[in-house]
Amino acid sequence: MSQFIQQVVLGLLLGGVYVAVALGFSLVWGILNIVNLAHGALVIVGAYITWDLFTRLHVDPFLSLPIDAVALFVIGYGLQRGVINRVIRAPLLFTFLLTFGINLVIVSLLLLIFTGDFRSVTPSYSGSGLQVGNVIIPYIRLGGLAVALVLAGVLWAILNRTRTGAAILAVGADRDAAQLVGVDLRHVYALTFGIGAAFAGVAGGIISTFQSITPTAGDPYTLQAFAVVILGGLGRVSATIVGGLAFGLIEVLGQSAPRLGSGYANAIAFVVLVVVLVVRPRGLLGRLA
Amino acid sequence: MRRARLGTVAAGLAVLLAACGTSNAGTAPSTGSPIIFGAAVSLTGSQSKEGGLTKQGYDLWLDWINQRGGILINNVKHPVQIAYEDDQSNANLSATLVQKLITSEKAQFILGPYGSAATATDAIIAEKNGIPMVESNGAAQSIFNKGYKFTFGVLSPANKYLTGVIDMAATLTPKPTTIAMLNANDNFSLEVGKAVEDYAATKGMTVVFTKSYPAAAPDVSGLISQAKAFNPDIVMNSGHLAESIAINKAAKQLGLNAKIFAYSVGPSTPDFISALGADANYVYDGSQWTPQVKYRPSFYLSVSDYVKAYQTKYNSTEPPDYHVAESTAGCLAFEKAIENAGSLDPSKVRDALAALDVMTFFGQIKFDSRGINIFKPMVVEQIQNGTHYTVFPADVANGKPQYPTPSWSSR
Repeated sequence: MSQFIQQVVLGLLLGGVYVAVALGFSLVWGILNIVNLAHGALVIVGAYITWDLFTRLHVDPFLSLPIDAVALFVIGYGLQRGVINRVIRAPLLFTFLLTFGINLVIVSLLLLIFTGDFRSVTPSYSGSGLQVGNVIIPYIRLGGLAVALVLAGVLWAILNRTRTGAAILAVGADRDAAQLVGVDLRHVYALTFGIGAAFAGVAGGIISTFQSITPTAGDPYTLQAFAVVILGGLGRVSATIVGGLAFGLIEVLGQSAPRLGSGYANAIAFVVLVVVLVVRPRGLLGRLA
Repeated sequence: MRRARLGTVAAGLAVLLAACGTSNAGTAPSTGSPIIFGAAVSLTGSQSKEGGLTKQGYDLWLDWINQRGGILINNVKHPVQIAYEDDQSNANLSATLVQKLITSEKAQFILGPYGSAATATDAIIAEKNGIPMVESNGAAQSIFNKGYKFTFGVLSPANKYLTGVIDMAATLTPKPTTIAMLNANDNFSLEVGKAVEDYAATKGMTVVFTKSYPAAAPDVSGLISQAKAFNPDIVMNSGHLAESIAINKAAKQLGLNAKIFAYSVGPSTPDFISALGADANYVYDGSQWTPQVKYRPSFYLSVSDYVKAYQTKYNSTEPPDYHVAESTAGCLAFEKAIENAGSLDPSKVRDALAALDVMTFFGQIKFDSRGINIFKPMVVEQIQNGTHYTVFPADVANGKPQYPTPSWSSR
C-alpha cells in the first residue's frame, strides 16, 4: 500500500513539472493559435541560466527562477515582435515551420555556447526529502510542484485581474474586434508570447534541479506539453493543472504495472489521450471553442 | 687468370654497389596519393557528447599518422584524410551520409559512427558497397549476427559490459545475491541486461526486479521506488550517461541503498562526476578501457603516452575516457590492416582485417568470424573520492573495490 502511495506521490510531483512546462505552451496556443515547437528549447534556455548562475555565482536554483522569467520574457517578446508576428495571420503550417526553425536555431546556439556536455544543478539539499511513514517526498520535487502551482496562480491572476490580461483574452476571443476597440495587436501578441516564454524559463529552472541538461533535452517537453494541453483542454489555467497532474500520474502508475516498463507508460498515456480526443474532444476541462 | 679474377671481383663489387644504391633509395619512401576515410559521427543531437569523443579519438590518430607521413604501403607513404559528416544522432541519417561519403567524397574506408543503432544501419551500406568499416562504438552483437563481411568492431561486445561487475561481486564478502536491473529499451542496452540475467545465475545471484524504460527518459523516480521495494544488493543500469545520472540522483532522493551501484555507460565520463559531485563515489562501471590498464602495445603509443598526447591536443587535465580510446583503436586496426594488405584494394584490406592480431594500448585487436573483438577483456572501474580507479580484474587494477557502498544517510 505504501508502495502505491509512493507511486501516486511521485506521479503528482512529476505532474507538477508538466504543469509548469505546459502553462506557457497552452497560453500561446490558446491566444495566438501558435503551436510553439520551440517551447522545449525555451525551457532549456531557462535551465541553462539557472545552471550558469548556480555554478558561477552559487545562486540557489529556486532563487534564480525570477531571473529565468525576466530573461525569457525579453527573449520571447523579441521573438514574437521581430519574427513570429510576420506570419501570425498565415496558415498554421507557416507558424509550425517557423517555430520548428527557431527550435533548431536555439538548440544549435546552446550547443555552441555550452557544448553537448551534461550539466547538472545539485544544491546541498538535492538528495534529501520529507519522510512520511514509508513514503518519501524529495524536497526538490516538492519545490517544483509548489512553483508550478504558484505559476498557475500568477497566470490566472494576470488573465483575470489585470487590464493586460483582459486585452490578451480579448485578442484570443476575436483579434479584429479587439483591434477595433483600440488594443495594440502586435504588442499584445508579443506580450503573450513573452509571458509564455517566461513560464517556460521557470519550468526549465525547476527541471535543471532533477535532470541533467543538454541542449537537446527540451525536445521531449514540447511533446509532453502538447499532450498535457490536449488532455486537459485549451483555454483554462485549471485545465492545464488537471491535464499535467493526470499525465504525470498516468506515466508513473503505468510503469509500475507488472511486466510493463516505462516504455509502455508513454504508450498508455497517449492511448488515454486518443480516448479523450474521441470521447471529449475539448479535453477534460476545456472550453468549447 | 689473375686478370680474369680481378674482373669478376670488380663486377661483383659493381653489382653490390648497385644493390646498395637501390636499397638506399628504398629507405626513403616516396609520398603517394592520400587515403580518404569517411566517418558520420553525431556532432549535434542527443549523442553529440559521445559523438564528439569519437571524433577526438579519430583526430588523435590522424595527427599522429600524418606527422609520420602517412600509412606505409609498399614503400610509399600515403597521407590520411578523414571526411566527416554530422548524423545529428539519427541512425537513419547516418546511413545516408555514409553512402554520400562513399559516392561523393570518394571515401575508401569507413570509420564507424557513435552507437549501436547508427552502426547497424551503416554496416548495411558498407556491405552493399564492398567497403570495409571498422567501428569502435557499436557493441550490440545484433550488428554482427547478420553475416556481414565488411564490418569489424574493435570493442568488446555488449554481453560483456556488466558481467565483469558480477565476476567481481562474486569475490566480495558478504557476497551480494540479489540484483535489480534497469534497461533502456535499445538493442545495445537490452543485450547488456539479458547477458546479466543469464550470467548472474551461474554465479549464484538472481535478478529480482527488471524493467525497461525509453532511452533518454528524463524521470526514473517511479522505477527506482519500485526497485526499492525489493531491497536489492546490486542496482544495475544498462543505458546511457543521462539516465545513469538520473538514476543515481533518484536513488539518493528515495533512499534506495544497495551494496553495489553499477551502470553500463556513464560513470567513466568526467561529466558523471562533475554532475553528481560526491554522490558519484562508490559507483562502478564496466569499461572498455581505462587509463590505468597495463597493455604492452606492439606499435603506436604506450598507454601513458596516449594519455599525454590526448591531454596536449585537447588541452585537458582529464585523461581520455574509453570512447576516445576505442575510437583511436579503430583507426589503428585500419592502419595495420592496410600495411599488412600492402594495398588499398578494399577486399584485400578486408581480408587483412579478418586476419589481424595485434596488441595496442587499447588491448588486443583480433576479430572472430563475425567481426567481433571477443579477445579483449572489459575492466571494472569504481569512482573513489572523485577519481576513477580500475578495481577488477586484479592483474590490471590500481585499486581495490570499496565495498559495501555505505547508505546514503551515512555518507
